[in-house]
Amino acid sequence: MILNKFTSWITFGILLFAIFSCKKETPEQAVAKLPVEEENADGNLPYKWLSTYSFFEGELNKLHQNSELLEYSPASSLFTDYAFKSRFVSIPKDSIAEIIDGEINFPEGTIFIKNFYYPEDFRKPEDKKRIIETRLLILGSSGWEAYPYIWNEAQTDAQLKVVGGQTKVKFTNLDGKEQVIDYLIPNKNQCKSCHNKNEQMAPIGAQIKHLNWEKTEGASPKNQLIVWQEKGKLNGFESPLSHPSLINYEDKNQTLNLRARAYLDINCAHCHNAEGPASTSGLFLDYEETDPLKLGLNKTPVAAGKGAGKFTYDILPGKPDESILLHRMKSTEVGVAMPEIGRTTVHEEGIQLIREWILSLK
Amino acid sequence: MRKIAFPPALLVFFLLLIGCSDSNHEQLFDSSKLPKKSIEEVEHIIEAFIMAEDSSVIEIPEGFYELNTQLILDNKSNVTIKGAGMMKTVLSFRGLKTGGEGVKIVGNNIKIEDLTIEDAPGDGIKAQHTDGIVFRKINVTWTNGDKSKNGTYGIYPVQCKNVVIDDCVASHSKDAGIYVGQSENIIVKNSLAFGNVAGIEIENSDNAEVFNNVARNNSGGILVFNLPGLPKSDGKGTKIYNNQILENNHKNFATPIGEGPNGNTVTMIPPGSGIVLLAAKDVEVFGNKILRNKTAGIAIASYQITGFPTDAPNWSPYTSNIYVHDNEYDRSKGFPDLTRELGQLVSLYNAHGKAKTQDIIYDGFWDQNLSKTIENNPMKICIDEANMSELFFTLFDLSGGKEEIKSSKNYQPFTNCTVSVATDISVIQSL
Repeated sequence: MILNKFTSWITFGILLFAIFSCKKETPEQAVAKLPVEEENADGNLPYKWLSTYSFFEGELNKLHQNSELLEYSPASSLFTDYAFKSRFVSIPKDSIAEIIDGEINFPEGTIFIKNFYYPEDFRKPEDKKRIIETRLLILGSSGWEAYPYIWNEAQTDAQLKVVGGQTKVKFTNLDGKEQVIDYLIPNKNQCKSCHNKNEQMAPIGAQIKHLNWEKTEGASPKNQLIVWQEKGKLNGFESPLSHPSLINYEDKNQTLNLRARAYLDINCAHCHNAEGPASTSGLFLDYEETDPLKLGLNKTPVAAGKGAGKFTYDILPGKPDESILLHRMKSTEVGVAMPEIGRTTVHEEGIQLIREWILSLK
Repeated sequence: MRKIAFPPALLVFFLLLIGCSDSNHEQLFDSSKLPKKSIEEVEHIIEAFIMAEDSSVIEIPEGFYELNTQLILDNKSNVTIKGAGMMKTVLSFRGLKTGGEGVKIVGNNIKIEDLTIEDAPGDGIKAQHTDGIVFRKINVTWTNGDKSKNGTYGIYPVQCKNVVIDDCVASHSKDAGIYVGQSENIIVKNSLAFGNVAGIEIENSDNAEVFNNVARNNSGGILVFNLPGLPKSDGKGTKIYNNQILENNHKNFATPIGEGPNGNTVTMIPPGSGIVLLAAKDVEVFGNKILRNKTAGIAIASYQITGFPTDAPNWSPYTSNIYVHDNEYDRSKGFPDLTRELGQLVSLYNAHGKAKTQDIIYDGFWDQNLSKTIENNPMKICIDEANMSELFFTLFDLSGGKEEIKSSKNYQPFTNCTVSVATDISVIQSL
C-alpha cells in the first residue's frame, strides 16, 4: 500500500517534470515525449504506434526483426537525402506471395516496413544512429495504403502522423564534414506521388527486377527471391536468369549505360513511365524504354515551367550541362528540383554518373 | 504625305522600352487582411483531404491558411471541396518545400469551389486522371514581385475527362493561367485570365468549348496547341467564341529577364498575341472581341515555326481545318513585339509595312504531300470576316529560311471556304 502510494508520487513527479521540461518545445514534441499509451494489437490497422505491430524484438530502435519478417533491399536504391534505409516485409502466416505475369502478387495483410535513419557519423554506420521515420505500406482489402510513422526524440517509438512533418538532421559525412539537412516527411497522400501505378497505390522496390540479385551482406551472397522462396513466402520464381534484373548503379564493374539506366529507373521511373503520374510529360525513364525520344533525347519539355532553366531539351546528347534532366537533378529549388518529393539536397554521385552518361551519348 | 524615317537603332530602342515596361501585378483583393489560421486549423484541413471519403464535402472556412505540405485528394468519388468564397478562403503554398503542385486531385466527379490558391512553387491546382472535374469560383494567383519566380500553371486539369472551368480567375502564372492538357470534353467559360504568359490554353485535347471569358494583359490571350511526343498524341475540335481578348501585351516572363526562350514553347510567344493556334486541328474562332493586342490578333502557326524537331508518332505539325469568322478586331495598340523571334517576324516582315500590328497572320507552312502550292489552301484555313479588305492579313513564306522571308497580303485563297467544327458539350453542360 505504502509502496503503491510511493510509486504514484514518483509517477506524478515524473509527469510534472515532463510537463515543465517540455515547456519550451513545440506541442508536437511534448506529446512524443510522454510515456507511450497502451494500444492493443487488435488487428484494426493502422495502429497509432509502430511498437504495436511487434515487428521488432527488444528495444524498438535496434530494429531487430522478429522471425516472421523478411529483410530485403533493391539492387539500386532511391536517393533520399543520403538517408540510410532498412527494409522488411511481413507476409502473413500461412500466406504466400506469387509471381504471376512477371509481377509479385502479395497476399492481403502484407506490410512493407521501411526505416529511414542517419548514422551520427557516416564513417561508422553501425554506431549511434537516429531513426527519423518508418513508412508502412499495408495491403488491405481495397489495395495498398501508405502510413508514415515519425520517431520520437527519445527513439523509443514512432507515431502515425498522416500530415507528415519536417525535422533537422545533423550527421558527419564520409569526408568527415558536418552536414545539416531539412528532412521532410511526406504526408500520407504524397506517398502516392511516387507509389503510383495507374492511380493505384503500388510498391516500388518490391518488383522482381529490383529484388532479383544476390545480396552480399551476411554469410554468403544469395539471391533474395530464392531466400523468400526457400522460406515458403514466394511461389513462381524459376531462376535468376529467367526473370529481369537491374544492376546496382554503384557497381563500377558494370557499363556506364546500364548504371545510368538503373539510376534513372529507381530514382525517376516510378513517376516517369507510361502508367505513372508523370506520363503527362511523355518522358519515360524506365529501364525497359528503348525509344530515344521517350528517353528524352532531343525532346522538348511540356509543362516543365521554370524547371527547364535556360535549356531546350530534356537530354542534349553530349551536352550534360545543357540538358534539363541534369539541371533539375542539380537544383534544390522546389518547382525545379527532381524528384519532386524526397530530396532537399543534391546527390553528387548521381549527378556525376548522369553527367558522364549524357556526355557519352551521341 | 511625307514619310518620317526613324533611325533604326532608335526605333528598336523605343520599341523595347514599350515592350519591357508592361508588367502587371494586380490582385483581386488583399489576402493579407484575412485572419491567419492556427497550425492546428491548417493540419485539420490537410487531414480532411487525406481522410476524405467518397461522397463527402470538405469545407474550408474563411481565413488565410499557410501550408507547408501539399493538399492531395486521392482517388475519391463525388467529393466537393468548398471554401467560404474566393476572397475569404485563401490557401497559401508559399512555404511549400516539396511537391509539384499546391492542390492535387485524382478521382471521379470532384468539385472544387469558392477559394483562392496563392504562391504554389509549381502548379496551383492540378487534377489528373479525373472523370468529372469542376472548378467553380476558384482564383489562382502568385504574389511575387519578380514574376519569373512564379509557378507554372494556375488551374491545370490534365489527362482528365469531362472538365468544367466556370467563373474562375487565374493570374500571374509564368506559363498558362488556365491550362487544359491531354483531356476530352471541356468547357472553359465565364472566367478571367490576366497577367499570365498565356491566359487560357487548350493543349492536345479533344472537344473543347471556350466561351464568355476575358483574357487580358497576358502575353498571349487564348492558345490552342498540339505538342509532339505526348501520350495523348494529338487533339482536335475546339470552339473559341464570345470571348474578350484584350490588350494581351504583357512581357513574356516565362524565362527571367535577359534570358531568351528555352524548350517550353510558351517562352516563344511574342507579347501582343490575341489568339495563337499552333499545330491545332479543327478549331472554330467566332464572335470574339480581339482588341488592342499589339502583335497579332490571331496567329495561325505550324510547329515548324518553333524550330524544334517535328517527328512524332500520330501527330501532325500543321495547323489544319480552321474556321475564323465574325470576330471584332482593333489593331490600334502601338507596335508589334520585338523581344521574341515571332514578334520580330511580324514587325519586320509583315505585308503591310514595318511595325504594323496585324489582325490575322498565317505562317504559310503546308503539307506538300497534299498540294504543290498553298494557293489551293491545302490545310483548310478558312477566314470569313465581313470587313476582310480592311483587316491587316499577312501570309508568310518562310520556305527560303531566315535569309529570304517573304510575305503577302493575299487572303483570297483562304476566304472562299468554310469548315464545320463539331464539338458536343451537352453532357457536361449541367455539371
